[in-house]
Amino acid sequence: MAEERVIDGRGLMPPEPMELTLTALDGLPDGEELLLLLYCEPQPLYGILKQNGYTHRSQTRPDGTVEVRIRKA
Amino acid sequence: MQPGLSFEQAPPISVPFRFFLTAPLFGMAAGLLLLWQGPAALASRWTGVALALTHLVAVGFMLQAMCGALLQMLPVAAGANIWQPQRVTHLTHAGLTIGTLLLLAGFLSEQALFFRIAVPFMTVSLGAFALIVLVALFRTPAKGPTIVALRIAVFGLIVTISLGAVLASSFGWQLALPLTEITHVHAAWGLGGWSLLLVAGVGYLVVPMFQLTQPYPLWLTRSFSVTLFFLLAAWSLTWLPLQRPDALQIALACAAALLAAVFAGVTLRLQWRRRRKVTEPTLLFWRLAMICLILAAAGVALQQLKPGEGEDYAGTPFLLGVLLMVGVFMPVISGMLYKIMPFLNWLHLQRIGKPGLVVPNMRQMIPEPRMMMQLRLHLAALVLLLGAVPLPWLVYPGGLALIASCAWLEWNVVVATRNFARFSRDLEAHLAQEQAPSA
Repeated sequence: MAEERVIDGRGLMPPEPMELTLTALDGLPDGEELLLLLYCEPQPLYGILKQNGYTHRSQTRPDGTVEVRIRKA
Repeated sequence: MQPGLSFEQAPPISVPFRFFLTAPLFGMAAGLLLLWQGPAALASRWTGVALALTHLVAVGFMLQAMCGALLQMLPVAAGANIWQPQRVTHLTHAGLTIGTLLLLAGFLSEQALFFRIAVPFMTVSLGAFALIVLVALFRTPAKGPTIVALRIAVFGLIVTISLGAVLASSFGWQLALPLTEITHVHAAWGLGGWSLLLVAGVGYLVVPMFQLTQPYPLWLTRSFSVTLFFLLAAWSLTWLPLQRPDALQIALACAAALLAAVFAGVTLRLQWRRRRKVTEPTLLFWRLAMICLILAAAGVALQQLKPGEGEDYAGTPFLLGVLLMVGVFMPVISGMLYKIMPFLNWLHLQRIGKPGLVVPNMRQMIPEPRMMMQLRLHLAALVLLLGAVPLPWLVYPGGLALIASCAWLEWNVVVATRNFARFSRDLEAHLAQEQAPSA
């Protein structure tokens, strides 16, 4: 089971969550997953991930938190 | 910081910025018209001056900024790709800018020729914009309440444009049409069906994102836009027999006003309970707008419940017009520009950069004290223009304050644009310097 890194962007002012995510992805080893927590769907990030060879899965928790799991495609 | 990812999805920054640079100019023009006409501007909502003022703000300022924001936001935030974005941008910007000038000339000169040119020009340019955006919104894989609200809002824009074209045609070709009834429905769809639903749809995204609140409650986001749409549609149908308002019409209008007030109340509550108590200009602009929305909703309900009182008095429509346009939509738009423009600058600067190169952060794009100054000027304009209802001479300082607020906004937009150019040059020069030794 690969280790999971977590970025909780729920209390951060944009674009800080995206900056942290992009930095974390820079050093994300193959097979590892990055978990991003937000209160909205990060559409700008999705476009960037798709264009740069990353896949993501997202789901919404009952409290409105959006979980985005990112890994290399 | 920049990890070498590409950011090609965002359209060129010139796409939205030309709209943002143009919109405040029409706000300034509205202030100038108020100064020129003085208390005569308040005489009736049906004078050419009142109609020119309304359209300077509603089309020249509001629609201009809203179209620019939508063209940028749809691909970036909603994953919806616009067909031929550059051509659509040119067409829409020309339609809005020249179209507003044509309407202004038509209303002030009462010459039919201006309306005869405006009708085909604005119908084609703005109609094409609305249809292309609607298609993009139906083709996007993204889901959720924002997309639903935006689809209905753009439909509302199409209704507004269509009725506007009918009204302008009647001025251009002297057609015998029930102008009063059509005007009521045109205004309701423009302010409620298009503008308010757009604010709600965008608000579901940006209020939690930029103001660090909890998300909007599901019961609201699931029901607000659809309910408002059906209320507006049913209310519009009650005008068809061309009779004076009946009980159903009053009930529907009051229900729509109550719904708008609920949206505003929920937004204020979310802001009040936000996680990080950071008070910044956009939050304050939104707070002002939501308070004005509640006041305007109460005003609409009172006007419906006591239709006989002051029906011919222009004060009530002027009061509601100022509350909605200067109190609700202009502040929301100003507040959003202060988030959208720095964010776009940041996003586009990332495209220039490369690993290890630090891109300036959002706070460096427009200094916060400058935004606060515009908020104060705008608040002064709002209070003075509301005060002009009982004290008409206040229209002079009110008009001056409106010019000052819009001029300040324009300068802030120019500052953001210049900072983008400056930071772009700096980054490119830095990159060229790094590459020079190896060349």
